Amino acid sequence: MFYVSMFFQYLSQYIKTRLQYRTDLFVEFFSDLLSQAINLIFILVVFGHTDLLSGWSRDEIIFIYGFFLVPFAVFSAFFNIWDFNERYIVKGELDRILTRPIHSLFQIILERLELESLLGGITGIAVMLYAGSRLGLTIEWYEPILFIVFVIGGALVYGGIFIMLACISFWADARTSLMPMMYNISNYGRYPVNIYNKLIRFVLTWILPFAFAGVYPAAFFLEKKEWYWYSFLTPLIGIIFFVLSVMLWNQGVKKYRGAGN
Amino acid sequence: MTQRAIEVDTLRKEFKSYSSRSGLAGAFRDLFTRNYKVVPAVNDISFTVNQGEMVGYIGENGAGKSTTIKMLTGILTPTSGKIIVNGMNPHKQREQFVQTIGVVFGQRSQLWWDIAVQESFRLLKKVYKVTDEQYDDHMNHVIKTLDIEPLLDKPVRKLSLGQRMRCELAAALIHNPPLLFLDEPTIGLDVLVKLKIREFLKEINEKYNTTILLTTHNLTDIEALCDRVIMLDEGSIIYDGALKHLKENLGDGKELQFQFLEKVDLQAVKALTTGMPVKWALDEKEHIFTANVEDHDELVSMLIAKIVANYKIKDIKINETSTEEIIRNIYEKGAVEVG
Amino acid sequence: MDKYLEMIRIRFLMMLAYRTNYYTGILIYSINIGAYYFLWKAIYGAKTDIQGLSIAQMTTYVAISWMARAFYFNNLDREMAMEIKEGKVAVELIRPYNYLGMKTMQAFGEGIFRLFFFSLPGLIIVYFVFPIQFTWDLGVWGLFAISILLSFFINTELNLLTGITTFFLYNNTGLIRAKRVVIDLFSGLILPMSFFPGWAQEIMKFLPFQGISYIPSMIYTEGFTHQQAIAALGQQFLWVVILYLPILWLWSIAKKQLVIQGG
Repeated sequence: MFYVSMFFQYLSQYIKTRLQYRTDLFVEFFSDLLSQAINLIFILVVFGHTDLLSGWSRDEIIFIYGFFLVPFAVFSAFFNIWDFNERYIVKGELDRILTRPIHSLFQIILERLELESLLGGITGIAVMLYAGSRLGLTIEWYEPILFIVFVIGGALVYGGIFIMLACISFWADARTSLMPMMYNISNYGRYPVNIYNKLIRFVLTWILPFAFAGVYPAAFFLEKKEWYWYSFLTPLIGIIFFVLSVMLWNQGVKKYRGAGN
Repeated sequence: MTQRAIEVDTLRKEFKSYSSRSGLAGAFRDLFTRNYKVVPAVNDISFTVNQGEMVGYIGENGAGKSTTIKMLTGILTPTSGKIIVNGMNPHKQREQFVQTIGVVFGQRSQLWWDIAVQESFRLLKKVYKVTDEQYDDHMNHVIKTLDIEPLLDKPVRKLSLGQRMRCELAAALIHNPPLLFLDEPTIGLDVLVKLKIREFLKEINEKYNTTILLTTHNLTDIEALCDRVIMLDEGSIIYDGALKHLKENLGDGKELQFQFLEKVDLQAVKALTTGMPVKWALDEKEHIFTANVEDHDELVSMLIAKIVANYKIKDIKINETSTEEIIRNIYEKGAVEVG
Repeated sequence: MDKYLEMIRIRFLMMLAYRTNYYTGILIYSINIGAYYFLWKAIYGAKTDIQGLSIAQMTTYVAISWMARAFYFNNLDREMAMEIKEGKVAVELIRPYNYLGMKTMQAFGEGIFRLFFFSLPGLIIVYFVFPIQFTWDLGVWGLFAISILLSFFINTELNLLTGITTFFLYNNTGLIRAKRVVIDLFSGLILPMSFFPGWAQEIMKFLPFQGISYIPSMIYTEGFTHQQAIAALGQQFLWVVILYLPILWLWSIAKKQLVIQGG
């Protein structure tokens, strides 16, 4: 309960701050849209030269991309920890966090809320609806519920992986973080995993399970029965990775060296 | 019986430090194997602080002050040893523990940069689960004493350093903690603000019996506030006791300042007093010659006689040795022999 | 000149000091190349060539363009934005060197470092894993070397331009992000220019982006004839010169503004 009320406390501060810098908000949203558009262009250009990608059609790939945007937007809104290493470790902001009576990771999530990213989810849903209608998909009554469950699962997968990456800073001496680079890898979860060889497919499923934020859950709505198994694993994988990452975090905080030593 | 606020027993914190090899070839070798050594930042220290004490924690840069404070506040985990603060283990019971302490880091803000001070206060009030009655009762007084009423609706980024520090102090006290850690609270502040902060700290110490642990480079802060000092050098405690005691035992020297009417050479002055236990120093800009001597009357009068006989004097001052001087002496000698 | 060389050396040492970054960097670049390799393989399917590039050439194209990216890529725009916002630029301007020149040299030091300790070992790893065609034609290597050097300058100039805008916009994080995605797509890093529809290619001919990645990669994979390669180098060089002008202009305005506002 306390944590829920803290969430709303921080949320109201966050809104007040954001309203002070309205142009930023607009520019950020615009640049998000641009990067989504560019990814769509990539898909469109590629399919100008081929009709099927390992058994997937153009509209199916676009649908997967649209789905991916939704958990990714949720992830970006709540786990905005790209600059964890610079902001909290190098500049020592974690000192302040640790002198307050709320779980440290939760405080950081609250401080770094970026709810405007959720707008990307709306783009995603629009893209899904467009591709879905071209594919003649219909929406069953239970599908919106499953959609929400899968989106949360996918966002937790992302959250878990990036929290674990943030934890590296507790042990290693890296000056800049690896997270921007990992972002590249996360992109591969957007494409059907059966285009990759076994090793990469394995990595994307079990090690860095980005496929659970894209192709696997999306396959359910595309009625690809052979992938249903994986689709329904999505929430489970999300919870497992997230719990693991929080455990790792709790260990990491004990290793925190403080800044300026 | 007085209550123990802080109990520290053979506390130790080690850091691994890397030394890099020199040159490009060295840096390339560093990629594969690293030279590192374990350095104890805090070396098996023990001390206790009672509820209501005001203790000055002093030492040179890198002596281990901040590392100790960070262990006491639960930010860092000790390598070994025991810490009990307010009856709890700071790192293990962190979230419960920090509810009972207030922390001010002079060089780091506790407040949110972009929002108004009172918004920060409101948020912290919720964070520490302070009720409205408690808040009104306590904070109205704090806000009045620190004179920050007019600053409350300004965003932190628009405050001056002195204004910000007063707000930081108030923020650390929102939950009225029985123990307050202050790390360099007066760094870079002007005299008036310093005085105000000192007055305020004395007041809350008297009113709530708040324990205060203060680290600072500014010894006047310590002199004004603390009865007791703990002195740290290279990770070990070299003195722990009353400030007064330190002064009585080690401050038995006198400092003589001379200004001459003519131009005088330091070497010549030194030559003149060879054989006497005198240490000379020269302030080049003001042309003030300072002699540090032990305090027995004959020596002082002999020294003055000798100087006056040889040079024309513009001014003479005789001072007690300052605390700063005492502490410098201690660090030069490396240990304290009291008593 | 000495001080600029010193700056290159310092950056070099700084990069060497953070070895975690180094190891994982190689790994991540290799994974990137790998993933695009599979994507392209799936796209090619049974086709032997698309737009005149065979699958082997395409794989080489991907590998080379990522490895070249390690050389020309830098975060100068973000660094500058940070320094300007924190007011450090005013201090930099007092120092006895050209701020922009110094920044460029820092980036150059970083680039050379990555080229030798990152791209080369990475390329060797990739060579053993994926079917890449290495050329042994020294002439091609020579043209390629000149071309990535020009890429570095075009990309750096674009970064400096974006960085300078911090003086005029309070927050340009969005602009920096947008610039990055635009360059990734329109430079030919993830997609050769020849894959775009004809009208898009026509437009892109008048933009500097393809000088960053497409031209050096095409030179290396011998997707260009010798004449085309020489012409492309000329085009790159032209862009280096053209982009220098707005930098000079904006920088002089920015400096004036800095003097008036006092940083």
